[in-house]
Amino acid sequence: MTDAAKTRRAGGHVHLAIVEAEPAAVASAGKPAWDWARGPVLGAGAASVGLFVASFFAPWWKFSLYAPQYPKGLTLVISLTGMGGDVQEIDLLNHYIGMKHLAGAAPVERHLAGYGVALIAVLTVVLLAVAGKKLNKLVALPAIGFPVGFLADSFYWLYTFGHQLDPKAPLRIGAFTPEMFGNGQIGQFETFASPSAGFWLAIAGVGFALLATFLRSRVCAHCAHAGTCAAVCPRLMVLPERKPS
Amino acid sequence: MRARTILGSSLLAAGLAATIFAGCENKHEAKQDTQATGSLGASASIVELMKARGLSEADVEGALKTYVPSGKMDEYYIFASGGQSGNVDVIGVPSMRLLKVIGVFTPESWQGWGFGGDSDKVLEGGNQGTHKIRWADMHHPNLSETKGDYDGKFLFVNDKANARVAVVDLADFSTKQIVPNPLAASDHGGAFVTPDTDYVIETSQYPAPLGRDYAPLSQYKEKYRGVAIFWKFDRSKGRIDPAKSWAMELPPYTQDLADAGKVDSDGWAFINSFNTEMAIGGTLDGKPPIESGASQNDMDFLHVINWKKAEELVNAGKTKTIAGMRVLMMDVSGPEGVLSLVGEPKSPHGCDVTPDGKSVIVGGKLDTHTTIYDFAKMKTLIGEKKFEGKDPYGIPIMAFKEAISGQVEIGLGPLHTVFGDHGDAYTSVFIESVVAKWSYKDFKKPVEKLKVQYNIGHILAAEGDTVSPDGKYVVAMNKMSMDRFLPVGPLYPQNFQLIDITGDKMRKLSDMPLGNAEPHYSQMIKADKIKPVKVYKPGTNAITMEQDPLRAEGGKERIVRNGTKVEVFMTAIRSHFTPDQIEVDEGDDVTIHVTSLESAEDQTHGFTIDMYNINVSLEAGKNENISFKADMPGTYPMYCTEFCSALHLEMAGYFLVKPKRK
Repeated sequence: MTDAAKTRRAGGHVHLAIVEAEPAAVASAGKPAWDWARGPVLGAGAASVGLFVASFFAPWWKFSLYAPQYPKGLTLVISLTGMGGDVQEIDLLNHYIGMKHLAGAAPVERHLAGYGVALIAVLTVVLLAVAGKKLNKLVALPAIGFPVGFLADSFYWLYTFGHQLDPKAPLRIGAFTPEMFGNGQIGQFETFASPSAGFWLAIAGVGFALLATFLRSRVCAHCAHAGTCAAVCPRLMVLPERKPS
Repeated sequence: MRARTILGSSLLAAGLAATIFAGCENKHEAKQDTQATGSLGASASIVELMKARGLSEADVEGALKTYVPSGKMDEYYIFASGGQSGNVDVIGVPSMRLLKVIGVFTPESWQGWGFGGDSDKVLEGGNQGTHKIRWADMHHPNLSETKGDYDGKFLFVNDKANARVAVVDLADFSTKQIVPNPLAASDHGGAFVTPDTDYVIETSQYPAPLGRDYAPLSQYKEKYRGVAIFWKFDRSKGRIDPAKSWAMELPPYTQDLADAGKVDSDGWAFINSFNTEMAIGGTLDGKPPIESGASQNDMDFLHVINWKKAEELVNAGKTKTIAGMRVLMMDVSGPEGVLSLVGEPKSPHGCDVTPDGKSVIVGGKLDTHTTIYDFAKMKTLIGEKKFEGKDPYGIPIMAFKEAISGQVEIGLGPLHTVFGDHGDAYTSVFIESVVAKWSYKDFKKPVEKLKVQYNIGHILAAEGDTVSPDGKYVVAMNKMSMDRFLPVGPLYPQNFQLIDITGDKMRKLSDMPLGNAEPHYSQMIKADKIKPVKVYKPGTNAITMEQDPLRAEGGKERIVRNGTKVEVFMTAIRSHFTPDQIEVDEGDDVTIHVTSLESAEDQTHGFTIDMYNINVSLEAGKNENISFKADMPGTYPMYCTEFCSALHLEMAGYFLVKPKRK
């Protein structure tokens, strides 16, 4: 069981425990103390970052294409850094309608994906470690931006590919945007698109980031420093706490 | 409070997303499921169908045992000799549907076998003498074995007419090598493999001077000879290695069928023969034809060969080199106990080693028995040199009675024998047109007969000549079909009849017409032992099965001219060739390396240049090298000959040959 799950199960007790712990922390003034409330927050944060990193190595989206002559279907699997499955065959079929080679999609994004994941992980960690009451709202922001950005970018490329068809192609069909969610139809192909493991890992990562934000807000609400921490929360800082002057 | 709202709403959003995706099912897959469900309970309509089509219950049982619905697979493959077609027929069992015809000795235009591509070199390799040989009389396919069991890797076939053996690789069901026999003028006892496929045995049929030199028929007894070739098979290369192969000189009897020993008799080989009379005909001079001259003796000879010992003698250099091949001559093999003879009743046929390797079964075309030779007895006789005499060539002869364990009365004209899984043997009986089931373990067991239509020649059983037959099916390979199929003129199809041998009694299940030639022997192998590739790796040369160094690659297509030599590196992919315009000068030597860039299953192109007798098959990934002289000036379309796509007809170009200036 993860720390976050433990916390979820404990429910309201988290709140109570923090309140009760408060006088003790104050009583031991001057002595750097490890505040146990950091545990669930950092645990949720770590889970969130871990899930992002895991999603980097997993496929994010899967397109299945079916036609009478492809009884097993063709698949296209999208990950953050590239694509797999029947790319050559799909390219070959796409050339009939004048679609560009799939390799030309999102080259910059795919190249920078690794740095992006690292950046989001670092931002999340930094925010978790140092954000005070005011910045607490931002803790989950990079995490949320991660899958949302992917969806937006994918949609952009699907749109672009479906709208920049070679007018000299043997088969001329109107501009279109391939269906990104669920069932669609392109020529004789029935298509089905759905998120894969990587996307769901990222969504879970978002969930944990939000959980971390929520737990932090509990800490803030009952913290003796309430209102004085400004942008940096001394209680949640990984560094030892200094007594407020 | 706000934090709680954030959390609450985000959880809600995640839940919603999950619901959306869960509810969004793959309609295609859902549809597939509904299609798979059929309705049952049609027994009433089945009775009606039976009435309408005049079917008996036995017919329906046969149908139910053999029907393979669309999308389901057969249980076995048959590799059938294509007889005079020179090619191999591949058939599925129990459906008895033709799956493929593999081009082997004879050009096969669909596969582009022998029409300008790399396969030409394989066919050229099979030429005998100065003649281009492009037909064959294929008789006996043999699957490669490991420890006496089919391993599904290779198939060997012989060509009786031109004394050749071919190697088919079952990785892609295509022929890789044709080896011409340098010694014999015809063969029959082949191709038979030893239990680990160390050797492929090919035995001559009609005697001739070794190396086929001229000798008048008056010198038949002195100069004419039989011969058994032990072709060394190099499994890692998938090729016969002629340099490591050797032969044994045999007396000029007409050697017939052969089989390699197994288990107890591993290391031995058996060849039957007829015409020990050494009749040579002479009908124009009023002498009896061979058919009569060769049928005078009551006994012919089974040849018993200790090939392991022969191999030692060959390695010890006790051979004579004839036509480039090491030959163990009779004056060595006879005295050394490597070659012995034993009588076999009148005009024998069939020479089949039982699954346990303990016996050899020989039928007699003009005798009503099968004779069961006891290997252990023969081995003792040979070991103790207990012979009743010698033939005119000094080969020792064992006493018939001392070499056999018994004879079973089968019927008129027993030929070949195959085996079930519990001591049951199935013998084809030609004159009587029956399959006879008997026991090679209990000769007293009554013989059961099943009529077949008509004139059964060879017979085959599911894995029936391995060390572990399956005991499921037997196929009667009938020479005549008479009234079985729609009339197609005076040349009738052959008839393969599938027989169920799982019950107490044999049951005929179905007939299959073969309208392309007269098959001889065939073998049946469990389907799961064969695992062919579905597509070639990019740029594969199908003869070497390796990436061709001269393959064309996408984006690197080009035409290179070097004097009068023109080399084209061409790719094929739906639905165009690159380049699609080639212009050469009359008299140029043109080589086209054409590579399929396809990688999808069953996505085949073809390539032809009209009027130049060129057609190659380009399965996905395959490269073909086509060489020819552009000796006919003119304008020739070149196009894809396999319907590949909606724009298949557009997959075309021009090959132009500019006339020489005069």
